[in-house]
Amino acid sequence: MKRLAVLAAVLAAAGAAAAEREVPPAPGTPHEFRLPAKETLHLDNGLSATFIDYGSVPKVTLLAVVRTGNIDEGDDTWLPDVAVEMMKEGTTTRSAFDIAKEAAGMGGALGLNVGAEQTTAGLSVLSDHAVGAVRLLADVLQNPRFPESELPRVLANFERSLAVARSDPLSLADEALAKLVYGDHPFGRMLPKVGQLAAYDIAKLRDFYDRNFGARRTHIYVAGRYNREALEAALRGAFQDWRAGPAATDLPAKPAEALQLALVDSPGASQSSVRMAVPVPDPVHALYFQTTLMNSLLGGTFGSRITSNIREDKGYSYSPDSSVNARRGGALWVMSAEVTAEHTAAAITEIYKEIERLQREAPTDAELTPVKNYRAGVFVISNSSPNGVLGQLAFMELHGLPDDYLTNWVANIQAVTPAQVSEMARQFIRPERMTVVVAGDLAKIGASVKALPQFAEARMP
Amino acid sequence: MMARAIHRCLGLIAIAALAACTAQPPVATPAPEGTVASPGAPPDAINIPVEYYKLDNGLKVVLSRDATAPTVTVGVYYHIGFRIEPRGRTGFAHLFEHLMFQGSGNLGKMEFIRLVEGNGGVLNGSTRFDYTNYYQIVPAHVLETVLWAEADRMKALAITQANLENQQGVVKNEVRDNVMNQPYGGFPWLTMPQVANTNWYNAHNFYGDLADLDAATLEDAKSFFDTYYAPNNAVLVVAGDFDPAAARAAIARYFAAIPARTQPARPDLAEPVQQSEKRDSYVDRLAPRPALALAWQAPPRNTPEHFAFSLLDTILLQGQDSRLWQKLVQERGYSNAVGGGSNLLGNEFTYDGPMLWMLYLVHDPDATPEAIIADVDAEIARLQAEPPTAEELVRALTKLRASLYDLAGSSTRFGLVDLLACFALFDDDPSRINRLEADFRAVSPELIRDVARTYLTPARRTVQVVEPGRAGAPETPGGSP
Repeated sequence: MKRLAVLAAVLAAAGAAAAEREVPPAPGTPHEFRLPAKETLHLDNGLSATFIDYGSVPKVTLLAVVRTGNIDEGDDTWLPDVAVEMMKEGTTTRSAFDIAKEAAGMGGALGLNVGAEQTTAGLSVLSDHAVGAVRLLADVLQNPRFPESELPRVLANFERSLAVARSDPLSLADEALAKLVYGDHPFGRMLPKVGQLAAYDIAKLRDFYDRNFGARRTHIYVAGRYNREALEAALRGAFQDWRAGPAATDLPAKPAEALQLALVDSPGASQSSVRMAVPVPDPVHALYFQTTLMNSLLGGTFGSRITSNIREDKGYSYSPDSSVNARRGGALWVMSAEVTAEHTAAAITEIYKEIERLQREAPTDAELTPVKNYRAGVFVISNSSPNGVLGQLAFMELHGLPDDYLTNWVANIQAVTPAQVSEMARQFIRPERMTVVVAGDLAKIGASVKALPQFAEARMP
Repeated sequence: MMARAIHRCLGLIAIAALAACTAQPPVATPAPEGTVASPGAPPDAINIPVEYYKLDNGLKVVLSRDATAPTVTVGVYYHIGFRIEPRGRTGFAHLFEHLMFQGSGNLGKMEFIRLVEGNGGVLNGSTRFDYTNYYQIVPAHVLETVLWAEADRMKALAITQANLENQQGVVKNEVRDNVMNQPYGGFPWLTMPQVANTNWYNAHNFYGDLADLDAATLEDAKSFFDTYYAPNNAVLVVAGDFDPAAARAAIARYFAAIPARTQPARPDLAEPVQQSEKRDSYVDRLAPRPALALAWQAPPRNTPEHFAFSLLDTILLQGQDSRLWQKLVQERGYSNAVGGGSNLLGNEFTYDGPMLWMLYLVHDPDATPEAIIADVDAEIARLQAEPPTAEELVRALTKLRASLYDLAGSSTRFGLVDLLACFALFDDDPSRINRLEADFRAVSPELIRDVARTYLTPARRTVQVVEPGRAGAPETPGGSP
């Protein structure tokens, strides 16, 4: 892979130091950063495997990324979560205890995780055990037993997790936001309805598995230190006979673009959960880099404008944060903050002020350059581990991004101008298209939030 | 405890549960395929580079070079945690951690943060039982800038009344985020020590009563800084890609002139051996289901019993292959997980005083605490009767070895820096990290049985029950009364 220089530019102390003050020593010359090499092969049944050779610790990570997740659940909220949890309960030849013992004996633990569009199964083991780990992973993916005897316990666990989620003000705010933004798409249903989980029987779980797992949807990433020849042979041997299965679902979610406000009551809460969301360009879009840089400056870093304002100036919130959440076919800018109840309306007002200020005037170079450096630095940190690299590659695969997404990443960030940052805020972070959720003690905060001028025209579902 | 900021910075990495940030120093070469570690023959020792020295002012310095990635991690650890914060000022050690980001001799408010982020780095701080740490990971060429900045805030604190009040507001929101406004907030890491321990230093509300947080003054901050934030009460760790000679020179340039200050005698932290079981319960207004935690007093750090107890912890409680997981989760189905261990805010080496070993789970109302405790007791009794099998012990040692490599290979190196700092600060011996595996291998199965007999008795146990509450009930800061 192409060599990259980290363009973390030379920079004097942020905020010009007063004359009598000592100035920090300027950074030296950036060291060269090279992205780890990778190689991908494809089996006849459609399975892909990528090998990443990186690091000097004798460990190897295997991660199977399957193109399924909550996007494939239809109306059966959490069905994929239950099905995948049940895959840990045994294969045709291994019990759950066998799986756990075998993984631990190799220095790892099997992890299965359902995401919105990708489901992962993997483990990180001592390099000596790479071949054994491939065989274990292959068995879990290809031969789940779905034991009837374990289902009541697994369902009771999900019922308990659901009860906890329903009593957590933060997750209630997230649920309300998802519903308003994604409506009838599966992404709009974060939590199952009462009684829904009980209907998930073995036949239904097996059906989900049959419809959504298979070689065509699976990409296995291998990263770390390993004997390539032995590992490749083991991988081909263990996976070449897996059925091809279906192609990935194409069900892009279209986020809402109208001003809406939902208030969720959480009586007695001393804090309110504020969520604001609006669609932004997705990773394949030419404006994606500009949008993410705008986000870093506005609310996505410790030193960002919103954090400086509502945390470091006003003390309204501990950990406010904005981010760009990418989904296939659409991305969403989301601002989240837990704020002191009595400052709820004031905090929302300040967030709007920061958005409007960025829309009105471009930041200076002195403000934007450090934000670019930050992104370039975090890029290096993120890509300085086998697991970091495989995470990036799985993201690129989901969104169909070419290799030069990574190789040009730093240059693309460095190329963004202050005027473009302001333009992104104007074009996309539009209050009149925003979905806003506030969860808190409505008797205390409801009236002042509803009275905010930004919500005068809001639809209140 | 500003941990969310770091997770946010590294958000791209967190695609899968297991894809934490692990990576790469020069440690050992992978064995050829097909070789299997046998319990008798220890594999090549893990060898993490450790260079250790002290400046004349007493500042301890640990350098650990590894140029696999062009980044460097810097940690400054002060030997002052929440355990020995002043009486009447609960939560002060943590509040003070926040103040260290508010301004120093040559850096105004937000300037430290902007200096690090603006040069491509991430940063954070945290407050633990016996240390407060400040750390950043930056591109390698920014090392000297960061050393200068850390020295600047070790030299002089420069905060205003407005900064103090601002951070009192932020910290109170942090307590609401992490304790008051979520189900099971603070359970059991914050709630259990308050009932299991008897010595005030080990038993107060570490996050702080809101009234105590409000009562803090600038004078308190100045006195706390002058007392504890001295070079002779700290360690500086630099790990990653750097030139050792240049790093030593820069460290001398910026830190050597900071004067040492006489340290007060450390208070007596001893916890008397518990003589009879304690029981506690409280209502959590947001909890929809009951929860149960059990705690026992763990053996003193660095004794053979301590190493044996760590292996006992692995065999009983760590991972889905462990005995208690199999019994409580897999067999009985009490919960989807059982958590616990020694020092829930770190690991069995990153503290310097008495410690509790805990296990906890959220369960359904049809399972009584008595039934769950009976199952825990049966597993403990089994280990008290028979030493662990050879197979279990090999598996525990394999897990340990893998976790040491994970520390060494992490792209942030935070876990590595944590251990090096604690071994320097508490034991004056950071190279201990390379002897850990041998220390664990020296533990006999019989000693594991014996520590189970001595330490895991009902008389030394505290039981804490969380009762489901009713939404709308008053919030309980710190959880337990």
